[in-house]
Amino acid sequence: MSGFAIETEGLTRVFRNRWANTELRAVDNVSLQVPEGCTFGLLGANGAGKTTFVKMLLSSVHPTSGSARIFGRDSREAAARRPVGYLPENHRFPTYMTGWSMLDFYGALSGMDSATRRRKIPELLSTVGLDERAWNIRLGKYSKGMLQRVGLGQAMIHAPRLLVLDEPSDGVDPVGRKQIRDVLQGLEQQGVTVFLNSHLLAEVELFCRDVAIIQKGKLSLTGSVKELTSSGGYRVTACDVPEQLIPELAAQSKSHRVEHGLLDLLFTTREQANKAVDLLRASQCEIESLAATRSTLEEVFIRTVSEKQGG
Amino acid sequence: MTAASFNATLALIRDTFREAFARRIFWGFFGCCTALLLFLIFILRVDVVQGALATVSIFGNSLPSTNVQNLVQQTQSVIAMVLYFAGMALSVFASAGLVSAVFEPGRIELLLSKPISRTHILLGRYAGNVLVVAANILYLVVGSWIIFGIKTGVWGAGFLVSSLCTIFVFSVLLAVIVLVGVILDSAAVAIMVTFAIMILTPILAQKNTIERLLSSEWSRYVVRVLYYVLPKTSDISIIIRHLILNQPVESWMPVWSTALFGAGVLGIGLWRFNKRSF
Ligand SMILES: Nc1ncnc2c1ncn2[C@@H]1O[C@H](COP(=O)(O)OP(=O)(O)OP(=O)(O)O)[C@@H](O)[C@H]1O
Ligand SMILES: [Mg+2]
Repeated sequence: MSGFAIETEGLTRVFRNRWANTELRAVDNVSLQVPEGCTFGLLGANGAGKTTFVKMLLSSVHPTSGSARIFGRDSREAAARRPVGYLPENHRFPTYMTGWSMLDFYGALSGMDSATRRRKIPELLSTVGLDERAWNIRLGKYSKGMLQRVGLGQAMIHAPRLLVLDEPSDGVDPVGRKQIRDVLQGLEQQGVTVFLNSHLLAEVELFCRDVAIIQKGKLSLTGSVKELTSSGGYRVTACDVPEQLIPELAAQSKSHRVEHGLLDLLFTTREQANKAVDLLRASQCEIESLAATRSTLEEVFIRTVSEKQGG
Repeated sequence: MTAASFNATLALIRDTFREAFARRIFWGFFGCCTALLLFLIFILRVDVVQGALATVSIFGNSLPSTNVQNLVQQTQSVIAMVLYFAGMALSVFASAGLVSAVFEPGRIELLLSKPISRTHILLGRYAGNVLVVAANILYLVVGSWIIFGIKTGVWGAGFLVSSLCTIFVFSVLLAVIVLVGVILDSAAVAIMVTFAIMILTPILAQKNTIERLLSSEWSRYVVRVLYYVLPKTSDISIIIRHLILNQPVESWMPVWSTALFGAGVLGIGLWRFNKRSF
């Protein structure tokens, strides 16, 4: 056992357009390791290569070079995909199926016998929050959010150890998103590895332990959400600050703002913040609040993406 | 075959049936067959007069006494031919959509992510499709065979065997549909190619006449190669007639060479499917 749910080595996919004679490196030499039991988010702008990466992992796209392993087994082996549940992006589930028959079909393909399927289907349909009246309605009549839910149910039916979700909350209302997140959190507690492609950074931040950012096919950043967002800085808010003191404080801070008689200062290091507090207290100013701030994942993401583009 | 892979095969076949019957065209096929069976049950009356002679009445009008055996066989061969040509065309038409549906983006990725091989997926779908059409054909053929048997006492097996030939030729044409579907992703082109084969083969079957008309040696050669390579739908229709009329079949070459063609085309289709990215 490698200890990794997903492990890729130099995974690359080049799309060639013979007519225009162009080449697109959709995924470029990506080596990524996702530990077992981890909740992992793959972030990236549109067209960065997230979906292509996932498709290579699940062998609907053949890599140009490199390899991928799932729980230590070469992902091209059919059996390696047994412990995997997958919710594709832009899925088009067959419209003639009902919620029930769809779970039955994909469950059977995952190797479940019919007695187990019959037991698990109602369980899962309720877990993903699908109303019992909808179970035997054709998918053609489902709303987008319902399709997403039944798709998630399909991915979970055979109790997979790895769940690969490509934009799972696409088209789901806020309540539904929360529900999905709760379901996924439950799975995480059972030790299921969750691999998520998403644009919704706030959501990834809430749910994922580790993230990677992919840009134009290349991996540009990996790390734990905690570490990446910890370097926010320190915010000091004070009142009754004399006018002549502000320029001095502002010079040391990352940013400052005066609003409703309050001076709001943002510092990069703890030292700077403490110095400012000393100065303020020496001038008899009242400290309103003092806090360590975290940068949001969105800030990290935007910073990484624009840095790379600039350099 | 392990239990898991058996379950998967069964699911693929069942799914093909479900999808087929979600399409109206198969209900049309089924309806036509039922109509014909009802016609045979209620309208056709055969009174066996004595020994091999019988009086047949259709819509109450009596036909003069005829040889029963001959009459039944002739009727069966008409049914078999209608099934062979019209039924086949209808089946090809309906199946092209059924095959290309599997390759739809948004659907194929999920199917491929399941722990079964691509070959297994495609063969499961293929088998399901053949079985759907076979079920329809057998429904009509076995049904009418029983009706004829009960009404006239003629129980010749030729009609039944002929239906297996029809199913076989369909399975070969389906391999063509699969190959075109895998390569070009288009149901329309698959139908066109298959129909082209169905139209071309009766012409090629007249190869002796054509060869006399052609002047150059190489064009004769091309016709001969095409004849031997392509499925021999028209020759097999003749074999079917012989089987029903209880006449000896001169050569089974059209059948086995068609089988070779089908196996080859299906093999290439599987190979392309395995190579393709979706
Ligand atoms: N089959 C294909 N043929 C040619 N180019 C492709 C193919 N599939 C993807 N691409 C290209 O590869 C790049 C990466 O696409 P991909 O779908 O992986 O992006 P993504 O990160 O999932 O984007 P999004 O966030 O919009 O879903 C895009 O530029 C896309 O146009
Ligand atoms: Mg995508």
